[in-house]
Amino acid sequence: MQLQRRSFLIGAGGAAASGLLSATAVRADDAPEASSDVVGFLGENQAGVYRPASQQQSACFAAFKVLSRDTAELKALLQKLTVKATILGGGHGAGDALPSSELSGVDGAPPVNSGVMGEDIAAANFTLTLGLAASLFDSPVFGLAAKKPKGLTDMKVFPKDQIEEEWTGGDLILQLCADSTDMVHYALRDIMKATRGQLQLQWKINGFHNRPRPDGAPRNLFGYKDGIVNPAQDEQLVWIRGGSGQPSWAEGGTFMVVRIIRMLVEFWDRVGLGEQDNMIGRHRASGAPLGKSKETDTPDYASDPHGETVPLNAHIRLANPRTQETSGSRMLRRGYNYELGVDLNGNMQAGLIFTSFQQNIQEQFEATQTRLANEPMTDYIEPFGGGYFFVVPGVQKDGGFLGEGLFA
Amino acid sequence: MTAPAVSPARPAQGAPTRPQPTQAGPPATMDDAVAAYHEYVAERLTELRQHVLALRANVGNGDVDSAMQAWLDAQQAWQSVGAAYGSFGDLGSAIAPGSRGLEDGAANPDFTGLRRIEYGLWHGQGAGELIPVIDKLLTDVDALEAKLPETAVAPSDMPLRLHEILEDTQRDHLSGRGDQGSGLALALARADVDATQEVLDMLRGLLDNLKSGFPARLDGELAALRAAIDATQKDGAWTDYAKVALAERQAVNAALGRALESLSLVPPLFSTD
Ligand code: HEM
Repeated sequence: MQLQRRSFLIGAGGAAASGLLSATAVRADDAPEASSDVVGFLGENQAGVYRPASQQQSACFAAFKVLSRDTAELKALLQKLTVKATILGGGHGAGDALPSSELSGVDGAPPVNSGVMGEDIAAANFTLTLGLAASLFDSPVFGLAAKKPKGLTDMKVFPKDQIEEEWTGGDLILQLCADSTDMVHYALRDIMKATRGQLQLQWKINGFHNRPRPDGAPRNLFGYKDGIVNPAQDEQLVWIRGGSGQPSWAEGGTFMVVRIIRMLVEFWDRVGLGEQDNMIGRHRASGAPLGKSKETDTPDYASDPHGETVPLNAHIRLANPRTQETSGSRMLRRGYNYELGVDLNGNMQAGLIFTSFQQNIQEQFEATQTRLANEPMTDYIEPFGGGYFFVVPGVQKDGGFLGEGLFA
Repeated sequence: MTAPAVSPARPAQGAPTRPQPTQAGPPATMDDAVAAYHEYVAERLTELRQHVLALRANVGNGDVDSAMQAWLDAQQAWQSVGAAYGSFGDLGSAIAPGSRGLEDGAANPDFTGLRRIEYGLWHGQGAGELIPVIDKLLTDVDALEAKLPETAVAPSDMPLRLHEILEDTQRDHLSGRGDQGSGLALALARADVDATQEVLDMLRGLLDNLKSGFPARLDGELAALRAAIDATQKDGAWTDYAKVALAERQAVNAALGRALESLSLVPPLFSTD
């Protein structure tokens, strides 16, 4: 990766410059995209969950109503989405051939793409992750009731939720991620054009992932490092495996929870640092658990039974008490920050697109959310949208398509 | 202010069926198609004029409900002309300009035409304010009718019209941005579908030669759109688009989007470049 001269001039002193160098694992916004920034599409599991290892900078969560009129149309739709995921994720040069299904066959027809990415489209680590909602399985049109994964329900409304109808629902979600904002926009537009009449946007929200400040996990809009602790893939808390009681077609899939959570940042900024730290359970500057010095340090709740160091109701302590009984309720979090204009009261509408992946929504996400019910941070956040989805297994070989197991 | 409870009774099929142009089959050449279109527009303008006269009488009598119905009839007649995207030049633009680009929007004294009358009717304005606007509209309709025989419709206009009538529907009606208070976007959209179908019928033979089976595909997509729009009617009355249930709006938006994608291939199919 290439460090721009401008970056050096901003970090004047030697210490600042070395801080910058140590953060070079992270892509600078102005670094050119490499054609090697490609996340493989094929695999046992879909991309956009554990792959790529470093979460992309930009995302769009787009939930759609599916208007396909029968099973055959639904299948064709999923095939189309698979083709799109492959082409968009593979990068595409102006001279590269496109499958005939991508072409109108009419001379002088409007261009095959919007041109937003220029002629040569760098994949920028693009991933498309497809999830299906309970409503799709329940629809009499498709007859998929028997295929419905167990525990896939409508999103539960929790005690402090303020759900706005226009931010919920949808039969299908696309999580589109890339390391450039224009690629995410380009991809959504391209996919929508190709599926016009079959998919109709229900709600959509774009998110951004920050760069580390100065290093480690990036910060969320409360100023705290977020994403420090996540279960590794081999802890086997995410992907559905055989013997789980789920329909066999679902193996290799996972459940996705999206919660759009407004963060009352103005209010938060009027709270003292000590109180903020106690609410989260970590030091703001370093990201270390209270009483520790590094973000990677492990909090020691066993020797702090009364919460003298990390309060018993701190977010991280309730979310993950680190006991044997709660170990199975951990999940992979992969959220994005968002900004959405101005609220009626003049405040910034900003917050977190909380996204988690897990094998079991009830035992992982819902159990955690239930523990968090009365955490002090609830006064500063307002969940208002989102949904539950089932992320179908990955496509393992060329010619396969996302959701193929539904039709077997 | 709340919209009056007017529910203009239209047959669910939308605009009344009309006599076909004086030919047996679809026009065989573009010149024939243009001639058929001319004839069609002349008939629509005659209807438009009648509706505007009725509108004038109703406004004069202070009969607001009938005036609203007459406005809708007139506006639908104008939609069925298919005067999308400024065809017929200034004369056409005078009939139903929007309020875009006017300082103070609809309150601007330069705002005229059918949409201005809509604004007045749905904002409690009476004869004093509206009769002069209606008279100006009649003058403009007369001028367009008089000029029509010598107004050349370029052959290249026909395929564009087939595509773009429904672009207008999406841009002005279903976006809510063209509305001046009536909330009757769906009624206008319905008339636009019929206008598109009329133009498709005129170009059918030519289009089928260029791409076999394409007109039939368009028929299917327009039928789906018509059905989705009609499904939003409640007891035969149109609902304000913003108040239509999301699932019904999604069906309309999806069908319109699908049709537009296909229709966008019509101009390049006819293009000789
Ligand atoms: C706007 C809302 C939220 C904010 C601002 C927030 C913030 C944070 C922060 C700063 C951390 C510490 C850094 C880390 O370990 O990644 C954290 C950890 C965590 N959060 Fe949240 N969070 C929010 C919502 C949620 C929700 C809805 C859940 C799940 C129901 C959740 C579950 C967790 C978990 C499981 C951890 C890791 C705890 C650990 O293993 O030590 N968070 N969150």
